[in-house]
Amino acid sequence: MRILTLAAICGMLATPAAFADTTLDLVGPISDYKLYVSDKTDDLVGATEEFVAAVKGGDVEKAKELFAPTRQHYEAIEPIAELFSDLDVSIDSRADDYEQAEADPAFPGFHRIEYGLWEQNSTEGLEPVADKLLADVKELQGRIEGLTFPPEVVVGGAAALMDEVAATKISGEEDRYSHTDLWDFRANFDGARKIVELVRPLVTDEAFLTKVDGNFATIDTTLDKYKEGDGYVTYDKLTEDDRVALSAAVNALAEDLSTLRAQLGLG
Amino acid sequence: MADRNPMSRGTAILALSAATFLVVAGGLALWLATRHAGEPVTEGAIRVTVNDRTCDPADLTVPAGQPTFLIHNGSNRTLEWEILDGVMVVAERENIVPGLDTTLSPRLKPGTYEITCGLLTNPRGTLTVTATAESEAARVKPELREFIGPLSEYRVYLSRRSSELVETTEALHDRIAAGDLEGAKEAWLAARQPWSQMAPIWPRIGDLTQRMDPLAAYLEQREEDPAFTGFHRIEYGLWEKGSTEGLQPLAQTLATDAETLKQRIREMQVAPEELAANASALAGRVADQLQGDHVSYAGADLAEYAADLDGAAKSALLIDPLVKDADAKVSEGLNAALTDARAALDGLKQGEAFPSWADLAEADRQKIGDAFRKVADAAAAYNPAIGLE
Repeated sequence: MRILTLAAICGMLATPAAFADTTLDLVGPISDYKLYVSDKTDDLVGATEEFVAAVKGGDVEKAKELFAPTRQHYEAIEPIAELFSDLDVSIDSRADDYEQAEADPAFPGFHRIEYGLWEQNSTEGLEPVADKLLADVKELQGRIEGLTFPPEVVVGGAAALMDEVAATKISGEEDRYSHTDLWDFRANFDGARKIVELVRPLVTDEAFLTKVDGNFATIDTTLDKYKEGDGYVTYDKLTEDDRVALSAAVNALAEDLSTLRAQLGLG
Repeated sequence: MADRNPMSRGTAILALSAATFLVVAGGLALWLATRHAGEPVTEGAIRVTVNDRTCDPADLTVPAGQPTFLIHNGSNRTLEWEILDGVMVVAERENIVPGLDTTLSPRLKPGTYEITCGLLTNPRGTLTVTATAESEAARVKPELREFIGPLSEYRVYLSRRSSELVETTEALHDRIAAGDLEGAKEAWLAARQPWSQMAPIWPRIGDLTQRMDPLAAYLEQREEDPAFTGFHRIEYGLWEKGSTEGLQPLAQTLATDAETLKQRIREMQVAPEELAANASALAGRVADQLQGDHVSYAGADLAEYAADLDGAAKSALLIDPLVKDADAKVSEGLNAALTDARAALDGLKQGEAFPSWADLAEADRQKIGDAFRKVADAAAAYNPAIGLE
């Protein structure tokens, strides 16, 4: 009896009432994040319509021009791509994921079109790929609308994306034919930062925030050097020093942001 | 797109960059891999080896909770390992270098999941998560964090409806200011839709509903009462008097109140138990109204009840996945009641439109009232099913 009582008290201490109160404080940030994603997805559908029209119209130059800005709307919501992994594959997978790489008839989406536009300098054969891409982003729009966002995926999404940038994207693998990676990076950082900004009022560790802000600032400064017009120069223009600076900042962000879930009681 | 196979990207990287960078990238990949691999491997971790074509074992069974998986990359490509629930990635570990181990400790609820095994084209394995005493307890009384998602969705819903209310009440004001009677009537009907869809939370904004939606029947001097303002006062002017005259200041106040409401919703915190309780209470209010003496100038009551039903369904069904898990019969009860109520309303439609309230037979009023009563009762069973007060 005594042991049971003690266990009950320990149990109560493990989940103090104060925690129960703050748990639902995430409702504001998560709902605002959904509104953000919903806006971005609407923008993605609009931009993809134009992009697809250029591809289907055989206008290689226009399609090349629209490729990177169109993708940015998708890259901004990539922190939660885990919620629609099938569409992520059909919209944004790379040739490596297919047995016969670029020659594989199953290779779909943005990167298949990118390959055609830059490597083959042609829109030939891209029509069905373009139609499928548009159908996929519309399907995504509908799905986002009906999807309840799991808070742990949203909060964990910032770290997951930074991890991916640090581990692979930083090599320039994503936009390997067009080298428009810096556009993607900009959108990835904006998308991850949006999550941090929304949960900021709930984070009590000031040192953590200072460090995260510092690394985002380093990224901003580095990317800003490569601005050109409304976008960025090609990824091969990035100096070795800047690549290292970017890499260090992204790695630090991946590491720091991976603690965010636990900080917000979503461990 | 998650990186599924970075090692075969050598050519792309080479084409892009100097060889020195390969060293940096390689070191980085190794560092990342060891960072994960460096986590302590607990006793009793579930071992999974991913080979070139399959997972070994390909089928796993674990108890619910937070098990630790020890994933060994036995293939010759860098890979990622994912646990999938349908199209949703429940947990993943990226960039596992050939020959290395990594661990993953996801929170898993009972159910059947898939696991990825290397290339996208490789067959997936299965992961069966079995119930435990603890998971059974959480099933009938979900943790508070389980309500963050549903409550966020509801906040999104209210936010959108309140934006629509702002737009439609502004349009109503514009039509009235322009003296456009038919346009104003149409705008009024349009504005009633988002307003009615938010009906479950009206009790939370009593001061605003008092100005925006009072009924003449409850005021001392009825239509002549100075407190008769808002929607129904405008409705009275447009339909009973057939004029926009004198309505402009009323429409202005209504639009301003809609703005205030929108702001209020941003600040409003809805508690988990309110989702079903508010829906039940609303359905009950509608059922009561249908029995009572009912004055309607526009006669558009059925369209509003349909919007009420949408609002109630949205609110209560947000916790339906939790209720379904806890007690499928309770979930079926509300879903069936909602389907019946919708069918009862739709059955009255003449073409695309609802008939006017005045033309509705007493028996039909009764039928709709009964249908809403059943929705109220079925929604009232939701909170007890998941341990909410």
